[in-house]
Amino acid sequence: MLLLATYPSSHAALRAEQQLKATGLSVELIPVPRSVRSTCGFCLLVEVQDEGISLRKSGAEGLWRVLEPPPGQHRRSYEPHR
Amino acid sequence: MNLIVRDLDARGLPCPQPVILARKALAEGGFGRLDILVDDPASRENLLKFGAYAKCQVEEQPGEGTQTRLSFTPPATGGTQPAVAPAPNAAPQVPSGTAVLLLSSDGIGQGDPDLARLLMRGFLYTLTEADQVPKRLLLMNSGVRLAVEGSESLANLKKLEARGVEVLACGTCLEFFKLTSSLAVGGITNMYEIAGHLLEGSSLSIG
Repeated sequence: MLLLATYPSSHAALRAEQQLKATGLSVELIPVPRSVRSTCGFCLLVEVQDEGISLRKSGAEGLWRVLEPPPGQHRRSYEPHR
Repeated sequence: MNLIVRDLDARGLPCPQPVILARKALAEGGFGRLDILVDDPASRENLLKFGAYAKCQVEEQPGEGTQTRLSFTPPATGGTQPAVAPAPNAAPQVPSGTAVLLLSSDGIGQGDPDLARLLMRGFLYTLTEADQVPKRLLLMNSGVRLAVEGSESLANLKKLEARGVEVLACGTCLEFFKLTSSLAVGGITNMYEIAGHLLEGSSLSIG
């Protein structure tokens, strides 16, 4: 499943990106979407198989499930993931 | 009726010399067809684009290796055929915007280069979600790195291209960084085209 993980700082997000990539995960660093609350401007989109346990270990503050945009639209939406 | 053919050998000439030669020859005229021999893939691309721009009918005879002969028939003698037929399966959506963005670096702003690249990656991702995408992205200097194999932004540039954005990388810059063969999205362009696009209308410089 595709999850969005927020971090307390850009440095933490960058660090987590390297860590998670090293474990073979597909990771994309993106600006924090408007609808997601975070103290930092960047977050990670990560395809995970473990419900986000690896993301919590990487220091993620918040986890959000990613909802792909409906056909003809381009903006993803997000809902809290517990 | 005898067709007067003018032959030009542009092998070994650096980009954009072959286009300059072609432009000059077409301006002089006095022939029914202009044949240009080139051996540089970037020059070939640029000549094809130039042919379309000059409304010439263009035929290609590939030779050995990267060598190829391009035959330009100027519009006055060449009928009404479009110069270069669009690829049949290339049907991108009509771009919704009119902005032309010049990305002259693989990062945004001065200061910390890691932060600059992070901002550019974030910017390109954000464009993919924008309601109105730009008409064209022009990549120059290290901006061409965004469009080559291994770039973190490659997938996002491909998404933008699928939404109708024309992505064009500076051929001289690709050649300078020895990245011509690694270009993975968009086309190769030259200074004439870049200047033309920037003067067309609303353009912004990012990077």
